Amino acid sequence: MITLKNQYRSLLFVLSLAMFFCTTANAQLARERAQTNDTVDRLFWATTNIGISTVQNVDKNDLQSSIAHVFGLTNGGIDRFFGLDDGANTRLGLDYGITDNVSLGIGRMTFNKIVDIRSKYNLLRQTKSNSVPIDLAIKASIGINTTSGLGFEFGDRLSYFASAMIARKFDALSLQLTPMFAHFNTTSQVNPDQLVGLGLLMNYELNRRYALSAEYLPVIGDRFTSTYDAAAIALNIDTGGHIFQLFLASSQWHNEQFIMANNRDRFWKGDFRFGFNIHRVFGLGGSK
Amino acid sequence: MITLLLISCFLCSHPVDEVKTTAVADTIYYSDSGYVKFTSEVPLHTFSGESDKLAGMIDFKENIIDFFVDLNTLETGNGKRDRDMLETLNADQHPFAEFSGEMEPITEVPLPGEKITVTASGTFIINGVSNELTLEGSLQNENDILILEASWDLSLADYNIEPPGILFYRVNDIQKLEIKVKLEPKSKSELDLQN
Repeated sequence: MITLKNQYRSLLFVLSLAMFFCTTANAQLARERAQTNDTVDRLFWATTNIGISTVQNVDKNDLQSSIAHVFGLTNGGIDRFFGLDDGANTRLGLDYGITDNVSLGIGRMTFNKIVDIRSKYNLLRQTKSNSVPIDLAIKASIGINTTSGLGFEFGDRLSYFASAMIARKFDALSLQLTPMFAHFNTTSQVNPDQLVGLGLLMNYELNRRYALSAEYLPVIGDRFTSTYDAAAIALNIDTGGHIFQLFLASSQWHNEQFIMANNRDRFWKGDFRFGFNIHRVFGLGGSK
Repeated sequence: MITLLLISCFLCSHPVDEVKTTAVADTIYYSDSGYVKFTSEVPLHTFSGESDKLAGMIDFKENIIDFFVDLNTLETGNGKRDRDMLETLNADQHPFAEFSGEMEPITEVPLPGEKITVTASGTFIINGVSNELTLEGSLQNENDILILEASWDLSLADYNIEPPGILFYRVNDIQKLEIKVKLEPKSKSELDLQN
């Protein structure tokens, strides 16, 4: 009986081996993409297009450092080295992603030694399935004029800014509308305390490394005296770790409320300045 | 020899299913919600990506093992890192990581609660590059659901994947992969199979 059992097992083993050698792996599961509600990435390549904030945000636990320079008017010619001799308004900034949709940032610019604290919140993300057709984000910031010797109370140094960013990507082209509002606690008597503007932004991806972008910021209603609507064009370069934005802009100021309030040059008349932004993201943990 | 022939006759005169009352040989086991995890290391830091969309099957009759995952379902807990990962893996062009091959035949399903070691040989494909692999894992029967677990090391260089850099560091070439899949019995007609 034991012998029979052993032989039975032997035969089963032989049959198994035969099955192993005779069969061929000739069928497999159809490769079907998983159903995910993926969001559309990179509507813009940085959190700031040129001077106006975009729907792009800093991801959770990432720290983005930004360096922005805008020099003098290029029409100074070679004698002023196309504006580079005229000094730059420089803004250094840090933005941290609290979640993938909420960031908090701080920056400081040369002009008026303005320190700004800002936050951006993404409410909607455009999806590949088009179930959500747009990106929608809001931004709020406070600007603090830290210039000494002005005799201002702290409250007099403040300005406030709020905007909504509505954007959509169409293949390589992204467009954004940015209605915005600014309030200044201190202005001269001839200027309004509040400004309303509508930012128009575009980004066009030439390839993974290069993109062209532009923005136009008309002020709607009352405006500061002798100011004009700002405009700018840029070449974006993605080096893999950094985003470089080389641009020509009419305004030498950073942050939307100050661009609206202080742009005294006309882009369409050839009044533009060279500038560049550099954005770099550092991952600060976030292991899953 | 006569004994062998008698046994053969005995086997032929009985339905195969009857012989394999404890075997899994005629059944396909399938899942589309398996778990896969990779672990990456850079100096002083480790991160991982996970997906619960690993799909696959084991066809014991045809001796086929076949698994794939849509790379776009992997999440590392950081959006930018996810995008960088997909770019590194060239996921636009090659959205799947997949393994297809043959199991070393087993004759009996593990009893409920029992865990056995299994071996599979086949082709692993990612980034459009394929390499032959032999993987060892475990198969456990839990109330007629087979739980397959396996882990192995994957060299990015073997698949023409350039390890991404973080400042002065590069992600380690070796990635640790782990899978855990609960496979349920299915008939062929329920599955979308292709040759």
